[in-house]
Amino acid sequence: MEIVRVTQPEELAPEDQRFCEATKAWFKIDFVPKMSRVLLTVPEFGRPYGRASRRAMADGALTRAQKELIATMVSAINVCEY
Amino acid sequence: MDDQIWYEVAYVAGTTHAVNSVADGLRLPLEFSPSARMAALPLIDGGAAGPEVKGVFDEIMEFYAVDHVPAVYRWMARDPGFLQGYWTAVKAAFSDRKLDRLTKEILAFAASMTGKSDYGVDFHLREARRLGMSEAMLTEAVEVVQLFNTVTKIADALQLVPDFDPRAGAPGGGRP
Repeated sequence: MEIVRVTQPEELAPEDQRFCEATKAWFKIDFVPKMSRVLLTVPEFGRPYGRASRRAMADGALTRAQKELIATMVSAINVCEY
Repeated sequence: MDDQIWYEVAYVAGTTHAVNSVADGLRLPLEFSPSARMAALPLIDGGAAGPEVKGVFDEIMEFYAVDHVPAVYRWMARDPGFLQGYWTAVKAAFSDRKLDRLTKEILAFAASMTGKSDYGVDFHLREARRLGMSEAMLTEAVEVVQLFNTVTKIADALQLVPDFDPRAGAPGGGRP
């Protein structure tokens, strides 16, 4: 069970709600992932983290698909259910 | 992505993690970087190996373009039948299929970093570079490793329930 109440999108600041909409488009999903809401619960953490993340996950020397596979690998080795 | 890709990622994860566990657990010396580590147990010498083992050793050296047999396979050669089977599986896991060999080596490098394996980082960093990983690719790979080690630990710390039901392949169980 989650040990916190996960912040709902409408509780976030307007600019962070816009970021959440962009996240839905990025992942082609119709809901805001919990992790986005968790990170943005403290905007001083979540906003710069999001900037670093968007920069690092875009196509570059590695494709976005390759980066998603790396992310999967990290999750697998860490046995992270989320 | 189709299931075949996920199977290939899983095979790379499994074999990398297992080989790293043996190599680090037995304190095998690093293959390509200076290392003060001494193997905790004796390893089979390439020159003294029988024909069955020698054939596998030759294949391993050709696959990785090295002039010595990596210590972890010299360990496995204590049981030639096991070495032959396991190496053949590793070779299949790391060969070009849906995913290319370079991508698989970058994934193995990411798995080794995440698993804090000195042996694996040394081995797969060298192999990925040999297969064409640029410094820009390396930087980006390490950034993704860092980002996802961050979020997986945050998720674990808060015991987040997944957004997706992985068995259904669609948003489900964990949604608020």
